[in-house]
Amino acid sequence: MSIVEVRKLVKNYPGFRLNEVSFNVEAGRITGFIGRNGVGKTTTIKAMLNLIHPDGGTVWFFGKPIRENETEIKVRTGYSTGTVNWYPRRRIGDIVRVVRSFYDNWDGEAYLRYMELFGLDEDKTPMELSEGMKVKFNLLIALSHRAEVLILDEPTSGLDPFSRNEILDIFLQLKKEGVAVFFSTHIISDLEKCADDIVYISKGEIAAASARDDFMERYALPGESLEDAMLRMEGGASHE
Amino acid sequence: MSNLLLKELRLSASPIAYFFTLFGLMFFIPGYPILCGAFFPALGIYKSFDYAREANDTMFSALLPMAKRDVVKGRYCFVCLIELTALLIMAVSMIVRMTLLGDLPAYSSNFMMNADPFALGAAFLLFGLFNLIFVGGFYRTGYKTGRPFLAYIIVVFPCIGVFETLHHIPGLQWLDEYTGEHMGSQLILLLCGAASYVLLTLVSYRKAARNFEKIDL
Repeated sequence: MSIVEVRKLVKNYPGFRLNEVSFNVEAGRITGFIGRNGVGKTTTIKAMLNLIHPDGGTVWFFGKPIRENETEIKVRTGYSTGTVNWYPRRRIGDIVRVVRSFYDNWDGEAYLRYMELFGLDEDKTPMELSEGMKVKFNLLIALSHRAEVLILDEPTSGLDPFSRNEILDIFLQLKKEGVAVFFSTHIISDLEKCADDIVYISKGEIAAASARDDFMERYALPGESLEDAMLRMEGGASHE
Repeated sequence: MSNLLLKELRLSASPIAYFFTLFGLMFFIPGYPILCGAFFPALGIYKSFDYAREANDTMFSALLPMAKRDVVKGRYCFVCLIELTALLIMAVSMIVRMTLLGDLPAYSSNFMMNADPFALGAAFLLFGLFNLIFVGGFYRTGYKTGRPFLAYIIVVFPCIGVFETLHHIPGLQWLDEYTGEHMGSQLILLLCGAASYVLLTLVSYRKAARNFEKIDL
């Protein structure tokens, strides 16, 4: 079942066009949104969350268009940029106390459980956290209001390999709990580690969107790994 | 609504915004343009906007489960709370100055504007102009604070100058009367000031909400 449906999303900027981007995010699966820097990953995610105004196309969450159902959809959705970059000098506890007041479905038990699991401290401020811990803080907020789908913009960007691995393991754990995860990345090995589905964007257009196995079957040459296949495809795209 | 205001008070506000409401006590100062007491709380609010911008509050707020219009509403509620606190301090100062301290020579020989209902009405108007020019101006871009605040300064100080001058014009001396002799007329001017504050704030809010809706974050 598709939990998010993106259809023919268009956004024009001077010198860049997000061109009729379409894909689905399926319930209970991990979808990796991959592409090199500057191809439109963040633009797509911002349009999905109604943070920018697309010039065309639609985004539906849970069978409802986000434009008319923004508040309800945000209650059921978790979002984060790669690292927390808001209120860097406020205590985590103070930020959470404000955030939870916006959610009727805030789960205090889940909050404490993930707080302990992620090793976060309410007395610390975001600026005192490592990059990996910042990602976990974002996840903590999303999971504490029982988000059914997580939309994560480059959550592993800038992390060391150990922290990246830890975050990807968390995604796998969340998938087991029935949470759909959609994350953008430019690191192909992230997909190899955990993605069920791959949405590959190149030059503002979707070059491929399918289950990982189908992707390999269709695009990889015999003996090629996912990384080899994508590098070859992207190399071809960049030399067109 | 309470959670919107809670966010502003606990996260977005610079402590200086609270502290600067105390400048409402400038209504006690003789020989000084007391309407500057309305400028400093506005300066505190401006600092809060800067602080919130540096903390990426706009994006933080837009990601919370509320409509973009409500993000603007929360900020206006905070602004009005600070302004009304300052106005309350001014009102209490005015009452004390007109009653308990009314006989002090420093006030009876005051060349500058006295604290009376007309002055309080003028303070209402200045806050209304702040909301229209600065707060509304901020939401044209969602991040520029300097230009709208400069525009406010360009408007507010000449306004203070005009209000300070009025009671020196023959026939308008009653504007500065603090013994209660022209209380009725002054109270009408106070009501006019309060009404202009409400009107300017509402106009500003509606336009700001519309503009913010159109901004790409």
